[in-house]
Amino acid sequence: MLKVSIDKLDPGMKLAKPVIKGNMILVNKDIELTETLIKKIQNIGISCVYIDAPTKQSISKEEALQQLDWRFKKVEDKPYMNMLKRLVREHIEGLYD
Amino acid sequence: MIDIEIKDFRRRVENINSLPTIPNNLKQISKIIEDPLISLREIGDFISNDPALTTKILKMVNSAFYGFPGRISSASFATVLLGLNVIKGLLVGFSVFEVMQNTMLGLWEHSLGCAITARSIAKRRGIKDYDDVYVAGLLHDIGKIILFLEYPNEYKETMNKAKLNNFTIVEAEGDQFVADHAEVGAWLAEKWLFPRNLIEVIKYHHIPQVSKNASIETAIVHSADVFMRAKGVGFAGDPFVPELDPVAFEMLKLSETDIKEILEEMEDFMVSGKELPQ
Repeated sequence: MLKVSIDKLDPGMKLAKPVIKGNMILVNKDIELTETLIKKIQNIGISCVYIDAPTKQSISKEEALQQLDWRFKKVEDKPYMNMLKRLVREHIEGLYD
Repeated sequence: MIDIEIKDFRRRVENINSLPTIPNNLKQISKIIEDPLISLREIGDFISNDPALTTKILKMVNSAFYGFPGRISSASFATVLLGLNVIKGLLVGFSVFEVMQNTMLGLWEHSLGCAITARSIAKRRGIKDYDDVYVAGLLHDIGKIILFLEYPNEYKETMNKAKLNNFTIVEAEGDQFVADHAEVGAWLAEKWLFPRNLIEVIKYHHIPQVSKNASIETAIVHSADVFMRAKGVGFAGDPFVPELDPVAFEMLKLSETDIKEILEEMEDFMVSGKELPQ
């Protein structure tokens, strides 16, 4: 799955997640984009959609988590930093799903 | 440590317009925004006369981030929409971008992530002028650029020192310069007649409890800065996450869910936002 900016959409791309605005599903997942649909998506006030394609993170998940440990090494015992690290770890893991 | 008195240091920083390493567009913008009588219309005209700048501003307001996708076609309308302080902040932000790319690789990305995150926190806390907080996030580290431009070799040395000795960049700056990037940035913000709140955020983003007049905005940018370092968005001079000021962080009353959503939102906008200033 890949997050793609709405101005980079091309016909033929397939939605990996539904397009949602507020609580409303505007376009269902698995739908293939057409030029008309892309124009509509560009006008609803969202910035990105999820496209069915391999993720494009610049480093591997293991590497990303290793770097996370390194970044936090000076502050792990400080207030709230453990919580923040846990949340960021979960966030990073989510980017590789 | 560079041997210079703090008042001479400040004068030198404030004279950036005469510094040969400062790019022309920043000099030009600096001259315009330090004029206390400049009107929104004149700034609009200035932008309109510069096609590259017009494109950047229009791209920004027409992005989904600002909620007017594809609807604004003139620079003068964009300036009215954003207001004088925000437009001044964006002009400085855009013009230092090029410098950032050639000096501290990744500082633009860090600053942009911080701006997006700060705006998102400000919205959650019901702050009306959340675009001002965005600008504060964008410019909070501007002092680093200026230090780098004034003292390139010394600043490189400072970054190396931070890396080798496990210092944060602020700690390393303290060993090398009579004023750190926060103070230097605030001098410039004053020179450019930025609003008092913005000056305070820049000055105290590492010591948010000291801020008297902009405590909430400073707490927001301080936390956004730490979040970006935590996620590793861009590069801000050293590889380490600085610690959160607990009092400032508690002031924001952010739940774990809030933080998760804020990171998600930032990630979304970075995809489209990264390309903005080109």
